Amino acid sequence: MTLRTIRFMIKEGAVNTYKNKLMSLASICIVSASLVIFGIFFLISLNISANMKIFGEQPEVVVFCEPDMDEAQASLVGEKISDLDEVSSVRMVTRKEYFETVKEMFEGNTGLLENLDETFLPVKFNLMLGDYEKCDDIEESLKNIDGVWDVQYPKKVVEFIRSISYWLRFLSILLIIVLLLIATFIMENTIKLTVHAREKEISIMQYIGATDGYIRWPFIVEGVIIGFAGAIIAYAFVAYGYTIIADSFNNDILQIGIEFIRLIDIRDISFLLVLLFIMMGTLVGAMGSWMSIRKYLKV
Amino acid sequence: MVEFSGVTKKYDNGTLALSDVSFTINDGEFVFIVGPSGSGKSTIIKLMLREEVATSGKVCVDDQDLMSMEKEKIPYFRRRLGVVFQDFRLLPKKTVYENVAFAMEITEALPKEIRRRVPMALGLVGLSRKAPVYPNQLSGGEQQRVSLARAIVNDPVLLLADEPTGNLDPEISWEIMQLLESINNRGTTVVVATHDKNIVDRMQKRVIEINKGKIIRDQQKGLYSNDTKND
Repeated sequence: MTLRTIRFMIKEGAVNTYKNKLMSLASICIVSASLVIFGIFFLISLNISANMKIFGEQPEVVVFCEPDMDEAQASLVGEKISDLDEVSSVRMVTRKEYFETVKEMFEGNTGLLENLDETFLPVKFNLMLGDYEKCDDIEESLKNIDGVWDVQYPKKVVEFIRSISYWLRFLSILLIIVLLLIATFIMENTIKLTVHAREKEISIMQYIGATDGYIRWPFIVEGVIIGFAGAIIAYAFVAYGYTIIADSFNNDILQIGIEFIRLIDIRDISFLLVLLFIMMGTLVGAMGSWMSIRKYLKV
Repeated sequence: MVEFSGVTKKYDNGTLALSDVSFTINDGEFVFIVGPSGSGKSTIIKLMLREEVATSGKVCVDDQDLMSMEKEKIPYFRRRLGVVFQDFRLLPKKTVYENVAFAMEITEALPKEIRRRVPMALGLVGLSRKAPVYPNQLSGGEQQRVSLARAIVNDPVLLLADEPTGNLDPEISWEIMQLLESINNRGTTVVVATHDKNIVDRMQKRVIEINKGKIIRDQQKGLYSNDTKND
């Protein structure tokens, strides 16, 4: 195939898209609609997982040193803890600080703490992990450090987050596959209509000696153009709608005083979104064309 | 140019379209294939175009055995042929010029060649002035002349015409036949399947008459029918 032929086929595809305006428009709308639906689900799942991550950073692991250990010895243990890869930050809580917080907990009921001072409490460390997934692994390595008496972390919360993220990921993948299949199916049928309307044209081309590739490629170019146009339109809709929703949501939620839930800024994901839309749109268009033209090329 | 020997064609639905048909058409000949509807003359054209494959026998066109031709080679084989149909079969969304040029574009001809040959072909059929017009703006006779221009633009060795005058009135039909004859005079073998008695009688060419899938007459300078009572 010469360069000139390739250029000719691209031109043919573009001209055909224009000359079959109505059908092209219908197909573009269908691609757009499918991509908009896909985009909505995609953004929802993206936002949920981004916020889960913020949540995931919250659970603190608490390490208690042996009760008879003094604070100098304890800080050595602290160094060993911060040497672990999984640990992103360590804060030592002295006996005094710890006692203060305990006193706060028993506020108004100090009788219970009578005759006690901070010495009955162990030194403890509050650690933050980069990833809540690592809680289980690190529990073991922490317990193996000399001088560590006990390790505690909110097991239930971690398990909950873990199961939600698992299902979320599973559902979004499933949803994306289903939506892609539906979009390809609709696309195939729409293009089938345009191909069917041009069945005569195809047979004429075959009579005058056009090869299958020569007939097929302009249709595929057409599918790609339709997919591309659909993707751009869908992106415009989704990006515009999302910006409005995200702005007002982020404002409102700040006013209620919740700081840790935020919708992702569109600028952070617009490149990913536009790339994904164009890839899916053109792929669906090309595949739709390929599948619908196949049966007419058998003469 | 064309060789049929012992050709039988049975369609999948059981219809026996041709049974044991043999004939030879030499280079440069002008041949009419005549017979009533359903006699099998369209099947002969379809076999020559390799649109259909014979059930048994041997079909050779342009020194190529169509019985064993691979599917990938069919388009290249068809490029050596010109075809004209009763319903013209022009691409509706292309202009007259583009329709004729398209037949050259698919052969990956040089643009320079296309610009040279398309006006020549249109000139030959007398449609130079209609180049920028779309087919639906033309009369039937003009559309058939466009399809003739398209059929000859690649200088085919063989021109096949299936009922080329079926949709045209007698005067226009005669013009088309004269065009076919002038194409024939330039060396192209021409095969016309028709049941148009007037033109066959007037042209005085070789006539192969088919009836119920069998050749019943093959005559040089023949008339449409030997049966004068039906005239």
